[in-house]
Amino acid sequence: MPDEPYNPSPIGNPSVLARRNWWQTMLVKFIGKHTPKCREMVRILSQSMDEPLPLMMRIKKRLHFLICCWCQRYEEQLHYMRRTARQFPEHADEASDVPFSIEMRERIKRKLAETPR
Amino acid sequence: MSATDLQTASRWVDDHGECLYRYALVRVRKAEVAEDLVQETYLAAVCGYEKFGGRSSERSWLVGILKNKIVDHFRKLGRETSFTDMEFLSDEFSEKFVPIGFWNHDLGPHEWKPEPDEVVHRAEFWQVMRDCLSKLPEKIRAVFTMREMDDVPSKEVCAILSVSDSNLWVMLHRARMALRECLEMNWFDTPAGGTV
Repeated sequence: MPDEPYNPSPIGNPSVLARRNWWQTMLVKFIGKHTPKCREMVRILSQSMDEPLPLMMRIKKRLHFLICCWCQRYEEQLHYMRRTARQFPEHADEASDVPFSIEMRERIKRKLAETPR
Repeated sequence: MSATDLQTASRWVDDHGECLYRYALVRVRKAEVAEDLVQETYLAAVCGYEKFGGRSSERSWLVGILKNKIVDHFRKLGRETSFTDMEFLSDEFSEKFVPIGFWNHDLGPHEWKPEPDEVVHRAEFWQVMRDCLSKLPEKIRAVFTMREMDDVPSKEVCAILSVSDSNLWVMLHRARMALRECLEMNWFDTPAGGTV
């Protein structure tokens, strides 16, 4: 691979830190070298949705986000999906047009009527 | 069951039956199983009506009962389900990353608009989400929906579906990655999703 193996920063990178000058370039390289690569970071971000990350990993994640808006977006989108997925069940009637037939409706009502309390 | 109870239960079937049935169907796929789950939900609702107390909307309360019924259903199935169908777990998104492991920036996540509070009012969004969920392999979907829709703690999901922690994380990671990709392509990057 590439001559510059620790270059996570393309031209026009909208991240907080990008290769805009010598100082930022050094920082980007340093952070890129000492934090997990994005492929690993997205796995860690997913895991963090299910159990808290150790402090050191939380720090590395924050540093990584400084040089990588894509991972930061990824994490925001995991929360976005969770927030919307939790609301899906109450909107399930809007999500499909599978018929809830009159027969089924009546069948359910009939069974309810037959069931002793 | 008293006449008043029956009348109330009947109204619930008319007002929320469609929603409950369609949700159950997304989860279990089989019409007769979905109908049974809805039936059990209404029975439990009638029996536990005193506990309701109007703290949430009627629909949220019924959906909550249905979620428990679905979890019970999977709990019963859990022992019979083998989680060996792992071909989906091979690293199919490797093209998203350059060989040294950073995002391929042209293929990395795009910005998502509108905000969650806005999309929940859009029927098309829910249709896209349902379509995307349906593309996940059955077992992966079961794990994802139980964790993310029913809010079951991960330890409990492992116990119900008899999977190890590490297996669960791999499955959830792949499910999230696939769902994210699907939502982006079919909603957020389309005119309906509002970013184009």
